[in-house]
Amino acid sequence: MNRREALSRVSLMLGGTLSAPTLLAFDRWNQMTPESRVNSPSILNEEQREIMARVAERIIPKTDTPGAIDVGVPAFIELMLREGYTKPVQDTFLTGLGDLAGKGFLTASADQQTTLLKQVEAQTLANAKAGSVSFWQLIKELTVWGYFTSEAGIKSSFDYQPIPGKFEAIKIRPGQKDFMYGNQV
Amino acid sequence: MNLNINAQKAQTYDAIVVGSGMTGGWAAKELTEKGLNVLVLERGYEIKHVEDYKTAMQDPWEFEHRGKITTVAAEEHYASMFFSAKEGSQFNFTNDKEHPYIQKRPFNWIRGYHTGGKSLIWGKHTYRWNREDFLANTKEGIGIDWPIRYEELVPWYTYIEKFVGISGQAEGLAVLPDSTFLPPMAMTAPEVHFKKSVAQKLNRPITIGRVAHLTKPQPWHTAVGRASCQFRNRCTRGCPYGGYFSSLAATLPAARSTNRLTILHNAIVKEIILDDHDQKAKGVRVIDQNTMEVREFYAKVLFLNAGTIGSTSILMNSKSARFPNGLGNDSDQLGRNLMDHHLAVGARADIEGFEDDYYFGARPGSLYIPRFRNWGNDKKRDYLRGFGYQGGAARADWSRGSTEPGFGADFKKRLTQPGPWKMSLTGFGEVLPDPNNRFYLSPDKTDKWGLPQVVFDADFSANDRAMRKDIMNDGAEMLEAAGFKNVTTYDNPAAHMGLGIHEMGTARMGKDPKTSVLNKYNQVHTCKNVFVTDGSAMASASNVNPSLTYMALTARAASYAVAQLKAKNL
Repeated sequence: MNRREALSRVSLMLGGTLSAPTLLAFDRWNQMTPESRVNSPSILNEEQREIMARVAERIIPKTDTPGAIDVGVPAFIELMLREGYTKPVQDTFLTGLGDLAGKGFLTASADQQTTLLKQVEAQTLANAKAGSVSFWQLIKELTVWGYFTSEAGIKSSFDYQPIPGKFEAIKIRPGQKDFMYGNQV
Repeated sequence: MNLNINAQKAQTYDAIVVGSGMTGGWAAKELTEKGLNVLVLERGYEIKHVEDYKTAMQDPWEFEHRGKITTVAAEEHYASMFFSAKEGSQFNFTNDKEHPYIQKRPFNWIRGYHTGGKSLIWGKHTYRWNREDFLANTKEGIGIDWPIRYEELVPWYTYIEKFVGISGQAEGLAVLPDSTFLPPMAMTAPEVHFKKSVAQKLNRPITIGRVAHLTKPQPWHTAVGRASCQFRNRCTRGCPYGGYFSSLAATLPAARSTNRLTILHNAIVKEIILDDHDQKAKGVRVIDQNTMEVREFYAKVLFLNAGTIGSTSILMNSKSARFPNGLGNDSDQLGRNLMDHHLAVGARADIEGFEDDYYFGARPGSLYIPRFRNWGNDKKRDYLRGFGYQGGAARADWSRGSTEPGFGADFKKRLTQPGPWKMSLTGFGEVLPDPNNRFYLSPDKTDKWGLPQVVFDADFSANDRAMRKDIMNDGAEMLEAAGFKNVTTYDNPAAHMGLGIHEMGTARMGKDPKTSVLNKYNQVHTCKNVFVTDGSAMASASNVNPSLTYMALTARAASYAVAQLKAKNL
């Protein structure tokens, strides 16, 4: 079995929820020592960093519960990006940020930002090609994963049950949150 | 001189067991309980039950990179990637980079080199073989006839089941004989509906998976320190409750309590030492995996339980004037007839409705659909044997957000609630014994310890491929019978032999020494004090998970070995 086959297998296992570059990124991150992480050069300038954080916050905004920025998603994304992804994938990501910068994303109102991102999402869906990864897909999956595995994200989103003690079929209660068992890792 | 004799004495035991996994644990338990002083040789590092399950109680945010599967697997864990793709348990799977092997044809060799072996990471589905499984070879003229029948294993099945603790539902099916059960696990609402629909429309029985979990611990379970399953489904990290059966939680503690057990870790068995006088095994030569030091240990009887490929490799590597092609290999069957179960093929569906239904707890099991093809009144298929399915219905969780369209406050809120129901079925198909599906030892490539690397030369057959079509179609048909939506089938082209982690058959048992390596008691035909009681011994594969049968054969062989020792026949 070769590397690509192994990768396809993982995404198959996950029902294909993550792009191959993201899987790769988690890998590289895993292999880095904490020191080398701190010392690895940044690939985002201030403006790009700001846009990335704002997009993450639009995907999972602060409501009555913490948002992406509150739980540290931007730092998570940047770390992944900086140390995990191959250059072509980094470039895809940076191009995506650049497009948003060109459209005045940072100075736009919250509603305008949402409209812009809806366009990005629609374009991504329209241009989806098997085997290629898009800016939107990358930032969305990293935001979702970073948020729903963070302590604040889990505790404010779910009915966290690390030790259920039993298994039974039940009827759902109104407003029932997802039971989170923490076994996804 | 005296020194020598004393040294030899210190390295002498009544019995040596090679391997501490599923069957090694049982051999150790049975032999110590019958009064023997036993040395267990484990090639891997030591894992202490409970205290070394470092990640068992960790929360997701405590994992450095949030438990994401990584392609460390792609680099270092090729084979086990499919299973070890979680940060919480990756270290319990042997690293292919450090333990290389050669794939003449693709083969996924998944290993657990540590105390407890793969019993730490097994799937835990536990089924008896049926009567026909032992008769199929002889009826169809495939391979060789089994030297034993179902009836001979029944008391041993019963004995093992009691100690292991198997949760399940008695159904009275000939195709899937009942075990001695602890209370069954519950089905989810769509699973109950699925079971009813398939029974009504297709007349196929479905039962809850029979898994080695304590749903109601008995005194003999608590006596070795085990407790109820907590339904965390974090099993492959190691279970601090001993909720599922493993060597670590059950058989090794039982053996230890006799005070007749010695376990040596980091001890890679290089070869069996043969006594030239009487053509019996004297002991084994062992390499320390860290220091490279070579030592010898001696015993009256040897049990090989190193896993199918491991045990067979040791026999192959034990060459002498009497056995130039490997110990006990007069038949040239050593390494041949390599089997597994073929999987990574099945069907999936979306389920509409059941919005009010949910479940509490993470169930470490699934449904089980017993074999129905080439069985009973089924019209003869264009392949031999059959398959079963594992699978179930669950609600999607937050990770659906990676691919679900949308973003923002509503999207966020939606992901905090249980998602739509989905169902999937995975087939487990029987692979036939074929002398050309084999592995052998490389003539020139060695590992870090100077031992020859294993070369795999095996693949699925036309029989398997024909069966996979039925696995997909029948799976889809059942999902449709239940009225589920968007039914799709899958057959992963990346699935190769080995992925089932049920590799077996490479030192098969049989009646005739000309065509088999072992006799009906798992005893090497031509070297009576060597027993091989792991998957190596299998003359065919059935389609059910094999561990229970390995364990039953082990207890039976241990009982026989002790009787033979007492009768001075070894």
